[in-house]
Amino acid sequence: MEQRALMADQIINGRVIEACQRGDRDAFRVLFETYKDKVYSIAVYSIGGDKSVAEDVTQQIFLKLFTAIQQFRGDSEFTTWLYRLVVNACMDERRKRRRLLPWGDSFMSTPTHKKPQEKQYARVEIAEAVQLAIGELKPKFRLPILLKYVEGLSYEEIASVMGCSKGTVASRLNRGHGQLAKQLGHLREHAFQEE
Amino acid sequence: MFSRHVTRNISAYCHGEVSAEEAREFTAHIMACTKCRTRFEEIKRGIKFAEQLRGVFAPDSLWRNLETNLGDSLVETPTGFRFGYWQTRVAAAAVLLLVAMAGVWWMRSDKQPPPSINSWEVARLDGTIQIDSAGVKDKGRLGIGQWLETGSNSRAEISVSSIGKVELESNTRVRLVETQPTEHRLELVRGKLSALIWAPPRLFFVDTPSAVAADLGCAYTLEVDEHGASLLRVTTGWVALELNDRESMVPAGAACQTRPGVGPGTPYFEDAAPEFRQSLTKVDFESEFAAKTSALDVMFSHMRPRDTITLWHLLPRVDGVDRVRVFDKIASYAPPPTGVTREGILNLDPHMLDLWRDELEPSWAVTTPIMKKVAQTYWRLKRGVERRVDKLK
Repeated sequence: MEQRALMADQIINGRVIEACQRGDRDAFRVLFETYKDKVYSIAVYSIGGDKSVAEDVTQQIFLKLFTAIQQFRGDSEFTTWLYRLVVNACMDERRKRRRLLPWGDSFMSTPTHKKPQEKQYARVEIAEAVQLAIGELKPKFRLPILLKYVEGLSYEEIASVMGCSKGTVASRLNRGHGQLAKQLGHLREHAFQEE
Repeated sequence: MFSRHVTRNISAYCHGEVSAEEAREFTAHIMACTKCRTRFEEIKRGIKFAEQLRGVFAPDSLWRNLETNLGDSLVETPTGFRFGYWQTRVAAAAVLLLVAMAGVWWMRSDKQPPPSINSWEVARLDGTIQIDSAGVKDKGRLGIGQWLETGSNSRAEISVSSIGKVELESNTRVRLVETQPTEHRLELVRGKLSALIWAPPRLFFVDTPSAVAADLGCAYTLEVDEHGASLLRVTTGWVALELNDRESMVPAGAACQTRPGVGPGTPYFEDAAPEFRQSLTKVDFESEFAAKTSALDVMFSHMRPRDTITLWHLLPRVDGVDRVRVFDKIASYAPPPTGVTREGILNLDPHMLDLWRDELEPSWAVTTPIMKKVAQTYWRLKRGVERRVDKLK
């Protein structure tokens, strides 16, 4: 992913961004193709795995990007600016959806504390369990994890996106990892045996 | 930064986001602090789970919908800058390349280490050494998947990330399987290595053809012969030898053999009587029942109290009458404590086996309080895992 991020930075240079600011369809398509998987991935994990909602959110993010890119002045890295947009959009969406649900309900469709009885877990099942557990984390713990593992950002980059210090990123990742370990305790030791 | 407990910095340490000095202080602290080590194990598991996260490909329909929504906002040929024909195609080609790379990443992502820590420094000590058949003059880097080989009269030293050193003797062949903050793994297919590891338990592993050596904070030598059999000799701390369900815990001063197709043998102290050691080899690797039974007789007549480590490991490895005899022999040195029954031990009740082991362990000469803590932590973790496995069964 980090290699992808590097490649993306090389492709999305000042000229592409300028072209996007002027509404060039081709330039915007390049921007979209470069970042669509990254944006969609964060949306999927932030929304708790609901792909149709994640699709809507991704689309909203790119629509917003198309408007907001007029204001991008290059004061920060483009990717940092974009991820900030993505993080805020995902948090807004989550807040919005939480308001629509009755108290005590989660929008997660599958119960997270289900303890499968099978001894061996297929990789896919583990990935799904991790995805569900990620969705259960508070946004302040979930987003640094997504930026670290899905986008491959460094602590400094995450800090920049989230507008906090490196120490805060370290602390939130620590707590996020701890909560993942606890939530997925039933998968312990079996989880990686098939690797 | 690390003057007190280091729990706040565990993730940063695992992600290589601390300086070399901080990493050294971290490992030194964690070796001595049970609280931080326990938290470290937990965070490490959390990291391993988080590493299972994969990027998700966006559906193709996204662009069409987006284009529809943007409508006339997008223009084909804006005035001023023209995102030209060739630029569009070069960019498109770059995007295609990016997508291809993403595909490769997708397929291989579970194998890739963090890019910052993906090779180990290798130093030639004597003679000629090679990495992937290319000679190394004085220093080189051993990447994941690469083979390091020493010739006759040659020696090499590997720096295992920031957690220790491994010295290779002559005619040794190793491969770097993995190096991540949560796991460092070498494969030894031939020859001899000496490892000195100052990391928390279960961070450094050596795969051999007949077992895996899991470091528990220690120094040891491991030798593999041309048939794939190996000999582990521990000089400090503890090492676990594992293969499938078979496991041997080897403390300082003890050794353990392994055989292909069998796995780890039973650990024994190197200062045990020669008759005891020779007979143990028969018990471990002879297939004939009568030969095993008579070898047990010889062991019983040449053993000391601290050799109960060998007998305790033998309990699940012998059957029927022989298990009863092993029980009686251990009991003659240290009777089972309260809560442990003869029947329970003969039925291999895991809890009772643990209780009895705790009773016997002082005679197994775990030398320092730290090493004793390491061993206790290991047993505790292992017990927990076994209980969960039993529940799942």
